Amino acid sequence: MNAVQRFIRSRVLLLTAAILIAAMCLSVIVQSQSQAALSRTVDENSRGLYDVLVQAKAPSGAMLQPEIANGTGGITFEQLEAIRKLSGTSVAAPISLVSRVTQNLEAPRLDAMDYLGYNAGLAGTATADQAAGATAPAQWPAAESVLSDQAKKYRLTASAVSSDGVSEQTLFKSTAEGTLGKAKLVEEQAAGGSSIRIAAPSGETGIKFPAPAGGSEHNLFNLSVSLPLAPEVTESVVAVDPAAERALLGSAGDFLAPLEKAPPADARNAGAVGRYLEGLFTNGIGLDQLKDGPDFLGVKLKYWAPLMTQYQQAKRTGQLTAESQAIPLVVRSGTSLDLKYNVKIEEIDDAGKVVKDVGTVSRSLGQDYLPFVSKDPFVLSWPGSTDHTSLLGATGNFNQGLYTPAQWSTDFAAAPKYTDGKTASNGAVDKAAVPGEWVTVNRLPEKSANGAPVDQTQREPVDERSYRENLETGGKKVAAPLAMVYGTFDPSAVSKAAGDVNRLPLGGYDPTPFSLVKDPEGKDVSAAELKPSLSATGLASQSAGAITDYYGLAAARGYTQNASVIDAVRVRADAPGSWKEAQPEVEKLAAEIRSMGLEATIVAGSAREDASIFVPGYSKDDAGKESALGTVQQSWVRQNAAEAVTGSLSGTNVTLLFLTLCGAALLTGASTVSYIRKRRSEAGTLRAMGWTQRRIRSWVLEEFGVGAVLLAVAGVVLSLVSWSVATALVSVSVLVLYAAAAFFAAQQLRHRDVIDQEPQHDERLIPVDSPLTFANRQLGTNKFNTLSLAVAVGVFGAAVGGLIALLIDIPRAAGASALSGLAAASVALPSILLALSGVVVGLVLTLVTGRFELNAKRQYLGILEAMGWNPDMLRQVRLFENALVGTVALPLGVLGALGIGLLLAPYAALWAGVAGLVAVLCWIPIATKVVQ
Amino acid sequence: MTNQTNVQRSRRSGSGDVPLQTRANTIVKAADHGTPLELSDITIRYGGGKGGAEAVSVVEGFDLTLHAGEMHCVAGRSGSGKTSILTVSAGLTLPTSGRVFWEGDSLESMGDDEIADRRRALIGYVDQGGALIDGMSALENVLLPAVPDGEVDQRRDMAKDLLDLVGLGRRMRHRPAQLSGGERQRVAIARALILGTRVLVVDEPTASLDRASANRIISILKDTTSDGIAVLVASHDHELVRLSDTLTELI
Repeated sequence: MNAVQRFIRSRVLLLTAAILIAAMCLSVIVQSQSQAALSRTVDENSRGLYDVLVQAKAPSGAMLQPEIANGTGGITFEQLEAIRKLSGTSVAAPISLVSRVTQNLEAPRLDAMDYLGYNAGLAGTATADQAAGATAPAQWPAAESVLSDQAKKYRLTASAVSSDGVSEQTLFKSTAEGTLGKAKLVEEQAAGGSSIRIAAPSGETGIKFPAPAGGSEHNLFNLSVSLPLAPEVTESVVAVDPAAERALLGSAGDFLAPLEKAPPADARNAGAVGRYLEGLFTNGIGLDQLKDGPDFLGVKLKYWAPLMTQYQQAKRTGQLTAESQAIPLVVRSGTSLDLKYNVKIEEIDDAGKVVKDVGTVSRSLGQDYLPFVSKDPFVLSWPGSTDHTSLLGATGNFNQGLYTPAQWSTDFAAAPKYTDGKTASNGAVDKAAVPGEWVTVNRLPEKSANGAPVDQTQREPVDERSYRENLETGGKKVAAPLAMVYGTFDPSAVSKAAGDVNRLPLGGYDPTPFSLVKDPEGKDVSAAELKPSLSATGLASQSAGAITDYYGLAAARGYTQNASVIDAVRVRADAPGSWKEAQPEVEKLAAEIRSMGLEATIVAGSAREDASIFVPGYSKDDAGKESALGTVQQSWVRQNAAEAVTGSLSGTNVTLLFLTLCGAALLTGASTVSYIRKRRSEAGTLRAMGWTQRRIRSWVLEEFGVGAVLLAVAGVVLSLVSWSVATALVSVSVLVLYAAAAFFAAQQLRHRDVIDQEPQHDERLIPVDSPLTFANRQLGTNKFNTLSLAVAVGVFGAAVGGLIALLIDIPRAAGASALSGLAAASVALPSILLALSGVVVGLVLTLVTGRFELNAKRQYLGILEAMGWNPDMLRQVRLFENALVGTVALPLGVLGALGIGLLLAPYAALWAGVAGLVAVLCWIPIATKVVQ
Repeated sequence: MTNQTNVQRSRRSGSGDVPLQTRANTIVKAADHGTPLELSDITIRYGGGKGGAEAVSVVEGFDLTLHAGEMHCVAGRSGSGKTSILTVSAGLTLPTSGRVFWEGDSLESMGDDEIADRRRALIGYVDQGGALIDGMSALENVLLPAVPDGEVDQRRDMAKDLLDLVGLGRRMRHRPAQLSGGERQRVAIARALILGTRVLVVDEPTASLDRASANRIISILKDTTSDGIAVLVASHDHELVRLSDTLTELI
């Protein structure tokens, strides 16, 4: 029988060689899969809308705050032009926070339908030609009203609530009582004829809330009750270069097209613009122009009325000066601010007892709310009312809008400022918010618009933590600017333009959401997205209320020429292709920008990553005790995420390759011992036949040699195919291991058996008096195999732990990988497959090492059976054996899993350890069942 | 198929005058349980399963009644089914057909646990070559059957006496690897007797032993019969065949 035949006959050697070749194949898969996944994902996904973020100051760490427009400025227009002139620059888009504009929403009112029908003599009643779209007199419906002929007593309770998504706060609550009834027409004789007027029914007292709210009054269509003041709403305005921004956003930036057509600074005099539009109206305006807005230098200003309103208001109050500028704005459509205005209506008797609950009506700021445009967001209707005002047709609306007055402020609500905690430098953990001082908000003005003192009891001021910063702008006191609304934008469309993959901050007009994930005690809470609210203010912001250009910024802040008002410049390099292809050009461009004294952060290859931030002192109770909000999560930007992915995958590779080699060593050792045991008697026979030691050694080495040749061929082929040094190293290592095992076996078998001279049984051993002690003795007798099996089980447990760690880490890895969504999945999948391979390797090792002792185990189990040990006792022996092996394997599995977890996914390391523990514990009963 | 030739001989006394287990300082008298072992119409076939191998009938229609204090030898050529009859008798394997009775109770009506418990109390089985557990001393091997009942300590002195009786009193701390074939056989016999066995089933106890060692084993076996223990032995050792009370020769 030649060496090849003997090799094949020796199943142990054949199995060992096969598994070692499989180990080498695994190393190839590790290399190829991870490299392919990395290359594919990084190439495809790690380049966003811009490559370099230019700021005046260096970011504090490896994490970038999401809101990069914060009013700090620091970049001049000269520097912007210099960046644009660089040969590597394709687009340089500046962005700045212009101002915070505080607006008093128009006084809310409750309209109860009290329609009196058509009456030609009634002042204000339309005729057919009075306004476009007016209804002909003959077609006006009959009078109707929700009020009774006899005045009844009502109690109105008005309240406003705002929620930040976690807790709801009542901003104010005010009650007023009085009688209301159906209006009547009164004809009065006067000199020159009769006149008709609308009069309240007899006995009606009306309802009046405390000042500054007015009372109630009857008009043509309704009884209007003036309600308490609506809260102040503050909106931010950012400035961009419309042309550059459109180049950055592509078609998603088309909403900025009207802004591009806005007149230059010298053509924005508010008085001139106001007079022009007023003249258009005075001279007559067509229905189409009224509907779509009058044409202003090639742009149809759909929302022209607010400008007219403010123009007239400013003119009246003397705010309008020769320097007043009209600021072109593209305003946000909708709001994420949670603000709800409620009025509860109850009919009561003279004693104040509720006779009938008429109902509660409410209005919220919603998707139809437009900053700077929405005139009357809180007009509420009495239950059962119908709006008949459309009978008059479309009339020019010169009612006061939001500008009573609008205050443009540079008390910027900058993004919350955080400092790193003690233990983390990456900004992802142990963040602590450093807020400003407590401020008292929700105050009412001391005097109303007509000068009357305001009843302060309508609102109870509350203390809120201010997250705002007052920034010195250095600008002069400028004339009140007028808003000129050019269009609207949808913030979600802007975010969408950046894409799901590699979504980077575009500026202050696309803030990332906050989510509360832990309460102040650190307990997990179901993730609740924090909404901008009127209490507590400032923590969660919403998209800018409006976007303007840099002439607008100049008008609002009054900077001198070439002031450093640009907060950031987003630069796209003039280098096509993937990140890898463009990387040299991008880095060169960034270096050139840095040479200008600016901070240039390469964001290509970066990605969003959730940062956990603990927010203390979020609220304060009446006793002044502060309460923390808890831990919130917000997507920041992780720089060099692509490199982090590379490192992570390399770590995975190294770990798995190390595990592969450990498994190979273990397997080879166990199989060699098994081989020696099986061949010892055969070697003895050969010695008896007169074979020399050298010949026996050759006889052994020949058999191993066949396996070595197979391993060498496989190693060379795999190394060439993968063209990977790591694979070659693994192959060589495996071959060296195999050769060492061969020499060890040959050395063992060429010698005669050494007679055990130990005359006495070691009495220190634990006496065998139970299945447990029997199992212990058996394991002690076969120490090497026991240890091999324990290590194999430990490897299995560690691999399971690694797999669990990866699975748990996927969501975080997705965030950190430049590569969310499908891209993250494409990265995660090979890693999971590799981890699964590790589990399979651990399992195979367990089976193979367990099988080496199976025959011996069967033999002694047979002896015990012949002695009358019943099946239950035999099962106990097997269970105790496996439990003892598991006891040895447990620390290996748990520590191994913890180690792998710390290496691959530190956040999930603890879970990896638990998974390793569970895997080893599960192995015990399963192995007991298998050996049955 | 093997034919069976039964030869009845007159019972002869063993070589010693004192019963073996009495000499072991422990009074263990074989109670009169009737016929300790009876085989009825036993047929044993191998093969014929899924593998497609042709079924081979090793034993067919075998009958045996073994009385207390009787040594019955099953002789025959290699492959004639001697070991098969012994494993069936010890309840380690089931016959293809036929019935096995232990003290009048059929094994068919017993579950695995009951067979194991009854075997421990009734049958002492000595494998060919005297299979011992590596890693345990001769004394520990002898005491192994007492482990399930938790009587290791109680039977330690008896085990030592038994090892003395089989001539291994000075080797009780030696491990199997340090014992010769004959010594291992004797340890196995001592182990089979430790629980007061009433039937000793011994497979080829003298195979590959020199004459002196073989005679020593045979002497021990004969001594057990004087204690009322029934011995069923498979062998083609002429001396053992000659000294057995009854003989079945498988042809």
